[in-house]
Amino acid sequence: MSRSQAQTSARASRQWLAAQSREVRGWLSLAIAAGVIGGLATLAQLGLMAWLISAVVVHDTALVMLWPYAVALAGAVIVRGLAQWLQETSGMEAGLRVKADVRAQVLDQLAALGPVHLAERHSAGSTAQLVDQVEALEGYIARYVPQATLAVVLPLIFLGVAFSLDWLAASFFLIAAPLIPLFMALIGMGAQRLNEQQFQAMTRLAGHFLDRVRGLTTLQMFGRTRQATEEVTAVADDYRRRNMKTLRVAFLSSAVLEFFASVSIAVIAIYIGFGLLGYIQFGPADQLTLFSGLFLLFMAPDFFQPLRLLAQHYHDRASALGAAEGLRTLLSQTPPQGPRMESLDSELDDTLPLRARLTDVSVAHAGRGRVLGPLDLDIADGEVVALVGPSGTGKSTLLQVLAGFVDAEAGEVALRTETRVAWLDQRPFLMQGTLAENLRLVAPDANDDRLREALSAAQLGDLLSALPEGLDTSLGERGLGLSGGQASRLALARVFLSDAPLVLLDEPTASLDPDSEQRVIEGLTQLAAQGRTLVIATHHPAVMGMADRVLRLEAGQLHAHEVPASSEALS
Amino acid sequence: MKEPTNMKGSTSMKGATIKALGPWLRLMGERRARLMFGALLMLATLLFAIGLLTLSGWFITATALTGMTLAAGGAATIDVFTPGSGIRFFAVGRTAARYAERLYNHDTVLRLLADIRGRTFAGLSRLSGRELARYRAGEWLNRLTADIDALDNLYLRLLAPPLVGLLAVLVVSGILALAMPALGGVLLAIMLPLWVIVTLGMAVAGRGPSARRVETLERLRVRALEHLQGLAELRTFGVLGAHRARVEREQRTLLDDQRRLGRRTALGNALVTLTVQGAAVAILCLALLAFAAGKLSAPVASMLPLAVLALNEGLAMLPGAFVQLGATRTAAARLNAEAAPASDEGEGSLADEAEGSLASAESPSITFEAVTLRYPGMGTTPALEDVNLHVAAGERLTVLGPSGSGKSSLAQLVVRAFDPDTGSVQLAGKDLCSLASQALRSRLAYLTQHTELFHASLRDNLHLGLPVDHDLEEAAVESALWQALWIVDLDDWARELPHGLETWVGEAGRQLSGGQARRVALARVILRDAPLVLLDEPLAGLDAATAAMVAERLDTWLDGRTVLMFAHRRDALPRCDRALVL
Repeated sequence: MSRSQAQTSARASRQWLAAQSREVRGWLSLAIAAGVIGGLATLAQLGLMAWLISAVVVHDTALVMLWPYAVALAGAVIVRGLAQWLQETSGMEAGLRVKADVRAQVLDQLAALGPVHLAERHSAGSTAQLVDQVEALEGYIARYVPQATLAVVLPLIFLGVAFSLDWLAASFFLIAAPLIPLFMALIGMGAQRLNEQQFQAMTRLAGHFLDRVRGLTTLQMFGRTRQATEEVTAVADDYRRRNMKTLRVAFLSSAVLEFFASVSIAVIAIYIGFGLLGYIQFGPADQLTLFSGLFLLFMAPDFFQPLRLLAQHYHDRASALGAAEGLRTLLSQTPPQGPRMESLDSELDDTLPLRARLTDVSVAHAGRGRVLGPLDLDIADGEVVALVGPSGTGKSTLLQVLAGFVDAEAGEVALRTETRVAWLDQRPFLMQGTLAENLRLVAPDANDDRLREALSAAQLGDLLSALPEGLDTSLGERGLGLSGGQASRLALARVFLSDAPLVLLDEPTASLDPDSEQRVIEGLTQLAAQGRTLVIATHHPAVMGMADRVLRLEAGQLHAHEVPASSEALS
Repeated sequence: MKEPTNMKGSTSMKGATIKALGPWLRLMGERRARLMFGALLMLATLLFAIGLLTLSGWFITATALTGMTLAAGGAATIDVFTPGSGIRFFAVGRTAARYAERLYNHDTVLRLLADIRGRTFAGLSRLSGRELARYRAGEWLNRLTADIDALDNLYLRLLAPPLVGLLAVLVVSGILALAMPALGGVLLAIMLPLWVIVTLGMAVAGRGPSARRVETLERLRVRALEHLQGLAELRTFGVLGAHRARVEREQRTLLDDQRRLGRRTALGNALVTLTVQGAAVAILCLALLAFAAGKLSAPVASMLPLAVLALNEGLAMLPGAFVQLGATRTAAARLNAEAAPASDEGEGSLADEAEGSLASAESPSITFEAVTLRYPGMGTTPALEDVNLHVAAGERLTVLGPSGSGKSSLAQLVVRAFDPDTGSVQLAGKDLCSLASQALRSRLAYLTQHTELFHASLRDNLHLGLPVDHDLEEAAVESALWQALWIVDLDDWARELPHGLETWVGEAGRQLSGGQARRVALARVILRDAPLVLLDEPLAGLDAATAAMVAERLDTWLDGRTVLMFAHRRDALPRCDRALVL
């Protein structure tokens, strides 16, 4: 990415974040108001403390005579505590609301983009985006945004008071103050770029670790666990090096601030001391009293405190910008349009009504070139079509085009109006939860009897009757406890429960034993008998045997129809 | 997987916390010097800040009084240079100490993070096949990452700051006590309870929601992962919304707990402000009374409250850190249950005291003698019962049977992912249990039923298969690699890839079709060039033409090796000498 591109994208990320914080304006305003009240209470507290010292030490007033001041002092401390509580809780509320809102946007977008776009990313990475990157926004909204205003308003109020006490001392604050945002901006720019890199490194780190743990059995078999352990440590160490680069810069901004705060306190203390001694003959120094001197000194740390807090929250900003970059990119992707819905009425009355029509369709994948087409295909209503051909020739892609997961690069894909689609692939989706919950996903209102019917139609009746807890049996993620064949048939049961007229199946019988395969085919035959249209990508002769039409795909091209290979299936 | 222990009993909390964090504290103990130095830097920063404010307060009051005396025509002297240079020293020292402290300590934390990851992985790599199979679910993997992350801030948030805060309280109380013992006592009486409240008190206040937060965040991850992995089915069925409601339910629980924690943190922070500022006011009043009574000088009386004010910095971060202690503890306890830090790396899974090795590179024979195997949690039905089987050296045996008939279990026994409950498995006449697993595994190549490719380049995935200590030259490796790809009929395909062997293979090989991924896994097994070969469904998912070609080429390669093949049908397998139906 060139420098100007990087700047443009950083600006877009900032704008995106600003738009998110506008949604919670009310809470942020409350946080800022509370912060200002807290600042004023602090000012009152410090002034009263200086006043008490001065009254007792210089004017020899007895402390008991000053009790109203002491009461006011206690009041100021209490207001300060309450205001701090209010500022934190309102800021937090704003942060929580933004997170909920952005997560909803991301879910919407993921739903629109569909599974094929996701397959190009590591699903752990996408999960991290939905979970962690959104979490990264909270600190920015809750703490950084209110503090960014307070860091301007509060020092100005303090400065005003300081000016009324001694303009020369106040100008020591002033000399340091404008330098601070300048330094922070310079440092912030570098830190942000580094932070983005760090974010990528973090995603890679998480992905790498997860991947190697997932494959531990394989690593053990190949005797590579030691090597992998070293690799894990090395990747984590690389993460540390990248991180330290960011931090060296990020901490510099707080160090600059720290330096100015410390030096200002020192300069003011020395100026006031010399002024009080009468060593300074110019300016307002001869007006200094113990009260004004102490008040100025007390004020000095609190003058810088809002800025120091801002610097502390600066990494919240950097993380949020890093996250915003990723989230914005995701949210700005154009989702596939999916097939067009048309009446697909045939001009000639004697042909079957069509369910789907592909006209001159071709599909290309980034990095793999054209994977499908150009091809024409009409699928009649109620037809069973088997797609065969060597692996990697576009069978899955054709199904994905029909499902609307991928858009055709050229040509036109049309489904008959109101065609709902059911999908079944080699990795059946199993949710953590009971068997019934997994089925009811598709048909929330189905009663237990319908679920049982669907299970037996999918040839899972035996399993169900063998389960002591029946439909309430829990399933682990990826169907822990279910064999591959059983998981496929569970997914098939879902198809039975849905009333989708078009069913797309990607190798539904891969890695099943002949017995399971036969059961799945019986299930599919039942589906076809219900009048549904089935498009099945397969290698298995038995599946081809049940098809009305077998189409051969080679290098993305459809080839002449073959006779159903039922004779082969018997061999 | 163990559920985290219920945290209703409050008395056991401390013990449980120490028990959970113990192994990790010991791991950190290996960097003891670093940790101590980091804490010292923290303390130095705080003391510089206290010194700067206190000395400045003293200086201003002293000069004011001297000034007044001079103005009134009296005689007074004051040394302005020593306090002046002291103030400058503290000012510069504070900046330098702060920068050094933050950089040094974050470096430490990231080193600890690498330690923790490395050790956890080493711990996990010692798990047996049984346990890994139990753990394979994605839920566990994600939780593992989150748990490790939760431990990263143990030192910087929970160990060093309370210690430094306590030391600062003691130091300031000491300064006050030097001026007037009673003041030191008063400050201790106020600040020690505050310290207890913002550490232990906040930990108690936050333990419920913070422990739950970890669990909810993890459930949110699981639901999010489900949502993404099931997107195809969920979307086509038009039920994304129904599953999304589950995702959002987890999120709501998470946000509610975060809100609870946030409120309690805010309360703790407000308490720190109230107490520290209140203590400063109290000390001010007491010091002024003491001044009026002639027990304290004016400069000292006005400097003492400043020292108290500076304590705020040392205590302000504690409530936010300790309210989350429950989360860290839960994470640590779970990691302990699964992957306690291993003290040194080990290879393989089972307890491995055996030293035996296989002498020659010749193909070994395999014998199963009265083998019975039971899986945990599968009731009383054994996976294998009284199996007797002999495969001669160089013989090829195919085991046929439907899924669930125990084919894979036979393979798992040969590679010692499991040991039999009764009976024995022998290789070249030696009981497997007497062989070092390293020696065993270097002699065999096993294609598992489940294709497992890594998120890495095609080349890296294939390289895994090479013998661990091979001394092949680069060119030899390269030709072995292409030879293996030729056998599985992927050589032309790989040559035509835009990035060739450097092509990145997606998660679990998703960028490849199922059949391609299977063949890459097969090529990896071929590269091992082992005398004993186990192939579980070697040609599953391949179309008939490819399967026939691969079978033929594989047939030649298998010559002279002892081979066990497992399949549910006979067709399209390389030639075998004998078939057995389970």
